[in-house]
Amino acid sequence: MTQQEFESRYAARWEEFAAWLQQSRTKRPRGQPPPPIDAFEVPARYRELCQHLALARDRQYSGDLIERLSRLALAGHQALYGARTRGPERVLGFLRAGFPRAVRREIAFVWLAALLFFGPIAVLSFAVPRHPDFAYVVLPARILDEFQQMYGDSAKSLGRKREADSDVAMFGFYIYNNVRIGFQTFAGGLLFGLGTLFYLLFNGLLIGTLMGYVVHLGLATNFFSFVSGHSAFELTAICLSGAAGLKLGYVLIAPGRRARAAALRTAAVEALPLVVGLAGMLLIAAAIEAFWSPRTSVPPPLKYGVGAAGWLLVLAYFGFVGRERGA
Amino acid sequence: MLDTARAIPTPEGIELSLRLAGPVSRALAWAVDLLVRLAVFVALSIPLGVLGYVGSGLLLLLWFALEWLYPTLFEVYFDGSTPGKRSLGLIVVHADGTPVGLTASLTRNLLRAVDFLPALYGFGLLAMTLSREFQRLGDIAAGTVVAYRDTAFQQAAIPQAVPLPPPGPLTAEEQRAVLDLAARSRSLTDERSEELASIAPALTGGLQGRQALERLLSNANFLIGRRA
Repeated sequence: MTQQEFESRYAARWEEFAAWLQQSRTKRPRGQPPPPIDAFEVPARYRELCQHLALARDRQYSGDLIERLSRLALAGHQALYGARTRGPERVLGFLRAGFPRAVRREIAFVWLAALLFFGPIAVLSFAVPRHPDFAYVVLPARILDEFQQMYGDSAKSLGRKREADSDVAMFGFYIYNNVRIGFQTFAGGLLFGLGTLFYLLFNGLLIGTLMGYVVHLGLATNFFSFVSGHSAFELTAICLSGAAGLKLGYVLIAPGRRARAAALRTAAVEALPLVVGLAGMLLIAAAIEAFWSPRTSVPPPLKYGVGAAGWLLVLAYFGFVGRERGA
Repeated sequence: MLDTARAIPTPEGIELSLRLAGPVSRALAWAVDLLVRLAVFVALSIPLGVLGYVGSGLLLLLWFALEWLYPTLFEVYFDGSTPGKRSLGLIVVHADGTPVGLTASLTRNLLRAVDFLPALYGFGLLAMTLSREFQRLGDIAAGTVVAYRDTAFQQAAIPQAVPLPPPGPLTAEEQRAVLDLAARSRSLTDERSEELASIAPALTGGLQGRQALERLLSNANFLIGRRA
């Protein structure tokens, strides 16, 4: 069959397929005629087009015709094999099952991250009150002084440098800063886990030192009543970002029987729910930290109670939600 | 052949090809995106600035969204391209050529934090130059590539001429050469197409210049099936 015969015989069918592709991308407005091909017929039409492309290549038809057909085929491939992104029901499914299940699946990495993060905190909050000079090794004196003011008995709002900082401003800052740290801790896993390791240990070192220092200053009540409210969400979220990053680092070091790139792709898909979830947790933490934690009018025991409730909630969520079938 | 086209085998037994975008056009697209983001930020900072501390909190939220959510939002819900990529004619797709989804887009954009290190996308550039498919680290983990968006395509017609069979049977490759020359003859200058036609004396019987081109056009008309 010559090229011209081939074209004149099938051109109308290619144009119909192209018209269907065009319409499938946009929602059809009222009154516009329906596409020329029925949706059920599309896969068959696509296979036919692929066959025509293969024939055109085999018979060495002109480059232009082959180009035209392969563009149509590529667009058809994208339309037929492209995944549809679903909306709200996906979010609900994620909260009811996807997120807690992902955390349980990666629990080994979560424990490892928790060890790396809470380890320095535990050691330093015990050691620094006995050797307060160490705080000056970690942090400059200026910051430690600021810290003393933020949690001093004269502070009107705990955890604020200036009285003028409003709740909303701090909310914006906590999200901007904390969620970014979470994302960076995850991304650091690509450096064979070293970035994640650094962020976990560094943040543990920082928090542990500050904690030990306020205990040394005798401001423990102010400090712990400030942090208790959001601690469950924030500290757990950091562990999850560490777990996600460590997972990436682990498969890069030990990809098993796959190529590193392939192992990394799978690991990233598995780690992503943790990252999305922890961003949500940091959002909650930021809201608590900005609007509840700084209140000096609330008595500390109530704040401790709320903090403990937060921990119970978080642990119960990861422990029990999404275990039933079909959730 | 040294080429940036990536072949994708499909279940239907054909190969599709994507033309991949290199570091320069991607960096330019990033720069355009940066300008767009800065413009949005500045435009909104004027009304928000009036709100004082509350406004500054909202501005930080806005910048957070522009930094982390902007690329994913556009890639997933606006046909694979941020405004910067669209202006450069680029599109993000999965390595198998399908449109990028939420998971892959989030992965590649969150891992941007490492590509950016140690400064100005140093690791990203290094990964791109080492990778066969110009992937930065985030792309490798997400399984995505950045390709050129196909522009509108006009099939160049072979100019009409009196069909004439070639002097003898031609191999497939020779037929292709004649057809390609005929299709391109309109976009080339006359001198150049005549010069090209004169290279094939075995087909044109030693004709030169204008006559050689006309002979080859006639042959091309015959080859695609036109008959007198």
